[in-house]
Amino acid sequence: MRSRTLAAAAVITASSLVVAGCGSKGEAKSTSAVSSGTLAIGASLSLTGQLAREGQLTKEGYQLCQEKVNAKGGVDIGGKKTKLDIQYQDDTSKPDVAAQLVDQFNDKGIKLILSSYGSANTEAQAAVIERNGQVMVDSAGADNKIFSKGYKSTFAVLSPATEYSSSIVKAIAELATPKPKSVVFLSADDGFSKTVTEGGMKTAQDQGFTVLGPQYFPNGTSDVSSALTKVKGEHPDVIIGSVHLVEGVAIIKQAKELAVTPAGFGETVAPPTPDFAKTLGTAAENVLGSSQWTDATKGTDKYFGSAKDYTKDIQAKFAHAPDYHNAEASGACLALVLAAEKAGSSQPDAVRAALRGLDTESFFGKIKFDSTGQNIYKPMSVIQIQNGKVVTVWPTESAEAKMVWPGTK
Amino acid sequence: MPTRTQVPQKGVTSTVRRDQARRLRPWALGLVALLAALGLQGQLYSGQERTVATIFMFVALAEAWNLIGGFAGYASFGQVVFFGVGGYFTAVAMSHWHFSFWVSLLLSGVIAALFATLIGIPLLRLKGHYFAIATLGVAEGMREVVTNMTDLTGGGAGITVPTVGNNATTAYLGNDGFYLLFLGLAALSVLIAGLVARNKFGYALRAINQDEDAAAALGINTTRTKVLAFALSGFITGLVGASYAFQQVTIFPERLFDVDITVLMIIMVVIGGSGTVLGPLLGAVALQFLSEFLRQNFTNLHTFILGAIIIVAVILLPQGAVNYVREARRTKEYSLLANVRKYRL
Amino acid sequence: MSGFLQATVYGLLQGGLLALVAVGFSLVWGVMNVVNLAHGGFVILGAYVGWEMHQWFGLDPFLGMFVSAAVLFVFGYVLQRFLINLVINGPIFITLLLTFGLELMIVQGMNLVFSADYRSIGTSYSSDSLAFGSVRVPLGRLLAFALAVAITVLLVAVVNRTRTGMSILATGMDRGAARLMGIQARHVYALTFGIAAALAGMAGAMIGTVGTFNPSAAASFTLMSFVVAVLGGLGNMYGALVGGLVIGLVQAWGGQYLPGTWVNALAFLVLIVVLIFRPTGLVGRPYYAARLEV
Repeated sequence: MRSRTLAAAAVITASSLVVAGCGSKGEAKSTSAVSSGTLAIGASLSLTGQLAREGQLTKEGYQLCQEKVNAKGGVDIGGKKTKLDIQYQDDTSKPDVAAQLVDQFNDKGIKLILSSYGSANTEAQAAVIERNGQVMVDSAGADNKIFSKGYKSTFAVLSPATEYSSSIVKAIAELATPKPKSVVFLSADDGFSKTVTEGGMKTAQDQGFTVLGPQYFPNGTSDVSSALTKVKGEHPDVIIGSVHLVEGVAIIKQAKELAVTPAGFGETVAPPTPDFAKTLGTAAENVLGSSQWTDATKGTDKYFGSAKDYTKDIQAKFAHAPDYHNAEASGACLALVLAAEKAGSSQPDAVRAALRGLDTESFFGKIKFDSTGQNIYKPMSVIQIQNGKVVTVWPTESAEAKMVWPGTK
Repeated sequence: MPTRTQVPQKGVTSTVRRDQARRLRPWALGLVALLAALGLQGQLYSGQERTVATIFMFVALAEAWNLIGGFAGYASFGQVVFFGVGGYFTAVAMSHWHFSFWVSLLLSGVIAALFATLIGIPLLRLKGHYFAIATLGVAEGMREVVTNMTDLTGGGAGITVPTVGNNATTAYLGNDGFYLLFLGLAALSVLIAGLVARNKFGYALRAINQDEDAAAALGINTTRTKVLAFALSGFITGLVGASYAFQQVTIFPERLFDVDITVLMIIMVVIGGSGTVLGPLLGAVALQFLSEFLRQNFTNLHTFILGAIIIVAVILLPQGAVNYVREARRTKEYSLLANVRKYRL
Repeated sequence: MSGFLQATVYGLLQGGLLALVAVGFSLVWGVMNVVNLAHGGFVILGAYVGWEMHQWFGLDPFLGMFVSAAVLFVFGYVLQRFLINLVINGPIFITLLLTFGLELMIVQGMNLVFSADYRSIGTSYSSDSLAFGSVRVPLGRLLAFALAVAITVLLVAVVNRTRTGMSILATGMDRGAARLMGIQARHVYALTFGIAAALAGMAGAMIGTVGTFNPSAAASFTLMSFVVAVLGGLGNMYGALVGGLVIGLVQAWGGQYLPGTWVNALAFLVLIVVLIFRPTGLVGRPYYAARLEV
């Protein structure tokens, strides 16, 4: 009878699995990432889902890095040039999948990892990296909380989250005349934005500003009218948004609709992106923003050259001006490559030690890690949108133009 | 004088024995499958163990959903709320109150079951799509509530279960340990589903599914039965959520209360065959395995392909694979196109 | 006081827009008992069509939305006629799964074709606002609201007065009897779905002017449509409008008087409370609730 044969087949498959289970699965793949002459690096990216846009920009950064390194023959490990091979997997913008991918890379013997996009994904990955003894260079997870857990195997090339709005506050304190008196923070309620707000508020208090109570709204909302209506009555001189693109655009747009006119706006993440100026048109004029990198950043390295060279390369390869997400991704890849070269090996322990002691200039700025693994040695740049273009206004050494203040007329 | 006819003893015994064998067969097959899964562990690398553990997790979730959605016909769209409540309770208990994981695990299941009872009593009065939406509202609402209780749950910034250092109450189980834990939960879920399917409680649920008024007229306390099924499915889902929280170490509200998880559960049950015990199991294994395979090998197109496969599967097998096989075996009508013709307009 | 008035104005305007997003969803659910999980995808698709029209032909989005409507009507009609009709007699929630698969394909398709960039359809007047004392009424949102109400009223008129509309209602009430009366059920269903998709497309074009969009925003619109449609109630054409306005107001007032992060929780709380005390929604018809177990 059919069901009997089916049952028999099931029993036979099952017993063979049980019997096989008594044996071992054989040696795990060798821990050398260098096989058949290439250096394999694992990168889990958000190619679909909420973070697809930023994930794509990150991928472009990694791709350009691979191209530049291989154009010079490859990574110089102990005198032998090895081609770089970055393997991509999609984490669908979910932290648990990102963490799972790290484990899957580990199975294949790939111990050197480039992070996914965003603090949530990176935090999930960092825990697994630590357990597996892999090494990860973080390109886009800025939240200081990731580095307060005592992890030793994750290194962030980007400035920490607390700097995002602190840099804007410092720039205003230094360059704005007449100096504004009060500041209010409008913030999304995700972990990264909250850390940004806390850091910014502290800096604002240190700089002598009156800090009005922060207003929070749900992450990803395109309607911040209630927050704006609540602060309208307090007449703040400066409104700083700890936000992402969607809320950032909403703040400027709805502030105009509601006739909320502080002396100036500053926002994190949103203003340096090309989508921001394109979407808002003239309303984006004179909005301040902070960026991990601009094309005026000082520093050169042997693979990418200077920031201006990097801009040219991205424009040529991807037909758009580079975003700081491109640059931080390339910077992370660069750090990993330089560390492997410095260590003369691709073994995770050697690379980890090399990263800890890395201290170099690059197109991305200074790359050096403190004891927690964060790059506190690279300042963030403050930009302003002038005539629809993003120009660097702070720090003054790399400024391309003078800051326009007040920003709103 | 009436004579006692001699019933041939041999015939009776063999029929009775054959019935007993048939009734025990599913349990025997289940045991074999469990042993096979244990044996499989020896063959897998650490990362693969994690992937298979996720498959077991969805088996447990699908079977639990099947209790309220498949047997009773009350499709809960907010099932993930028990997942999240269980997960967050464990995370909070372990990080704030220093409970051990095993104690938190059990308590999470109980809390989830109590929560299910609490919302079940008002909501199970609703029918059909309205019940679905109300439960969805509860799930989304709970997510927002958890996001706002920042002192307790960390809000949008997430909460971390202590696994290293002095605060860690239980050693981290590692991929090996979690494989076994999720396998255990999957086995428990299938076991409970199997027991429910074959006893009076299960028949009461099926009666409610087919005609609730008639069931009530037969003397079944429909409210109590429904709430019990809801609580039971909430209990299992809560246990799974707690284990997931420990596995992930850091959890966020958007992920623990993600409506995608509920939708995946429902798809697995319906494609496998709702109202059966084998259906959700097969559906979960097939769908999760497929989505993993597609994601690893078709990095850019995997969601697109998955969507297309779901559409084709739903068109060809609207009643689910297991039900189709049973009907086909009974009517000897195997054509898939005939199947489509039966359900189209 | 001006804060309250401002919040009320914003709530109503937002509510009208939500109503337009949800009305197609409610129509399809009420008439055909189909829960269309791809609805959010239609909305975003309409936004992209509007954006392309604006980009290539300089067409103002309030005109471009008619193009969106036309494109999505055809898309919806074809989908229903040749795909969804195949499973419509199936067990409960089969259409749900089908539309879920469709949603996956549509969102990923948009991701591949349009990329995940955030876009917005900018018009010169979109940030202007009219001032009434201390209360500002944004022009772009006001236009969107007026259109939403107008379209809902027009839809009710079409459905109740024309023969086509009557056939839609009839098929919704009793498909067998309608067929006996000579109504082509397959065609009517496809027509309904097409209309719903067209409405979603128009809403999308308007959403495009009011905020930013990208493919991953589709899911939140589907969720919103669910809440609004059920809150308002099925079986009544004004249900989506009522539901939308209520949700808009509740969220605006909530944002004004509570910490801003509670607005979404408040919306769901209102939904649950209404469902517990009035299971068929605010203005829904009980008949449609009873008919729901297919």
